[in-house]
Amino acid sequence: MRSYQNKMVAAVLVGFMLFFLPFSLSANTGTATEQLKPILDKLVAILSDPALKGDENKTARREKIMDSVKEGFDFREMSRKVLGKTWNDISEEQRDQFTELMTKLLENVYIGKLESYTGQAITFTGERVKGDRAQVTTTIIHEGAELPIHYILYDKQGKWMVYDINIEGVSLVRNYMEQFKSILRTEKFEGLVKVIEDKNRSFEENGTEG
Amino acid sequence: MRRNGLLLKFFLCFAVFQLHFGTVYASEGNSDFDLLDDDFYQDDSQADQDQIVYEIYDPLEPLNRVFFKVNDKLYYWVVRPVKKGYTAVLPYDVRYIFGNFFRNIAAPVRLVNNLLQGDFKDAGIVLYRFVINTTMGVWGFGDPAEREFGIAPRPADFGQTLGKWGIGEGVYIYWPIIGPSNIRDTVGILGDGYAHPIYFSGQGLAENTVYYLETKVNDMSLQENDLYDEMKRISIDPYVAIRQAYYDYRRGMLEDKKRK
Repeated sequence: MRSYQNKMVAAVLVGFMLFFLPFSLSANTGTATEQLKPILDKLVAILSDPALKGDENKTARREKIMDSVKEGFDFREMSRKVLGKTWNDISEEQRDQFTELMTKLLENVYIGKLESYTGQAITFTGERVKGDRAQVTTTIIHEGAELPIHYILYDKQGKWMVYDINIEGVSLVRNYMEQFKSILRTEKFEGLVKVIEDKNRSFEENGTEG
Repeated sequence: MRRNGLLLKFFLCFAVFQLHFGTVYASEGNSDFDLLDDDFYQDDSQADQDQIVYEIYDPLEPLNRVFFKVNDKLYYWVVRPVKKGYTAVLPYDVRYIFGNFFRNIAAPVRLVNNLLQGDFKDAGIVLYRFVINTTMGVWGFGDPAEREFGIAPRPADFGQTLGKWGIGEGVYIYWPIIGPSNIRDTVGILGDGYAHPIYFSGQGLAENTVYYLETKVNDMSLQENDLYDEMKRISIDPYVAIRQAYYDYRRGMLEDKKRK
């Protein structure tokens, strides 16, 4: 009944749900795509592996998924972006701690969704490079319509790593960054850590399936 | 009709808003979106992080958060049960073709706005789709323009048109019932009401209200998941998450239109 009950939200959510998903067809090739594709292919293999299906294999499956995801996604860079200026004010240990929490949060949020992947065709539709940043675009078919998903990568010592996902202009990292801003203002870094820990705990209590 | 003019317009506009808004991801597929030009991805110097241009002006936040809570309750008490009942009564195919029909009928809104934006190519496509879908698609119940000819909808709305003319967003408003908007988009949906055929159909307020509610419920029933629940589940602060997503989405769409 309200306008966020509309397809803007749908597009964003579906996109984020599928944000790890690979391209099955490759129309173009470029270095960023070449490096991303095998990692994402591996994810599909894990998701389609019958030996890893079902609730009883959940732990093993998630471990494998996260291992693959980490090869191509830089959770530390995501964490740095999400914290903004605060990243400079905290110690190295706190950075490690935050990166771990953020990784867990993203895992909790999206992997349940990733597991509901049913083999939709995903096509690779473009790549742009500007200095040490790249944008790789894929398109999935959702409910009969095309939904483009943009992966944002940066050149990490010669290896392209994903640090943001953008769907219809909506950035995953920016969304969390804005949510954290006011918490950081009032409760500082320590307060934010506690809030994310609580959120992660709530996932464990309620299960991660969405 | 005249007596109830303002209220009617309100309802209509929101219906229209939903209609063309609902076509969003069936749009051209913005795979051409150049995100690397976005300051967010460009400038990485930490000092700039706080004064970035995509700042959102939300002086009404305390009031908006109250409405957010009201809408939250409304959602669980009213909206969700209605959606469940509707989905149970009508099969998916029926709801799907209804969706096509409502979208097709709102074509004048997209046509007018594409023209106002000087996007004659998209205006032509809107017209072309309307003709094909109204004839071959049997009064718009089918969408052969997309299915057979691969021509995706070209959404355009008056909020967007105002943006293209250089008018600012104004303050963020989280409306009761309606949800996220701002001054510009609110004026936009009111304006779009005047271009919707239902406005000219001469029906009474009751009929128009029913039409409005039906489009909304139908639109919602086509979404597989409980999106609002989902959004809340993945957010630390759902109010900010929805506000940010709304702005990113609207600004992204406007940037896309400006490039044309």
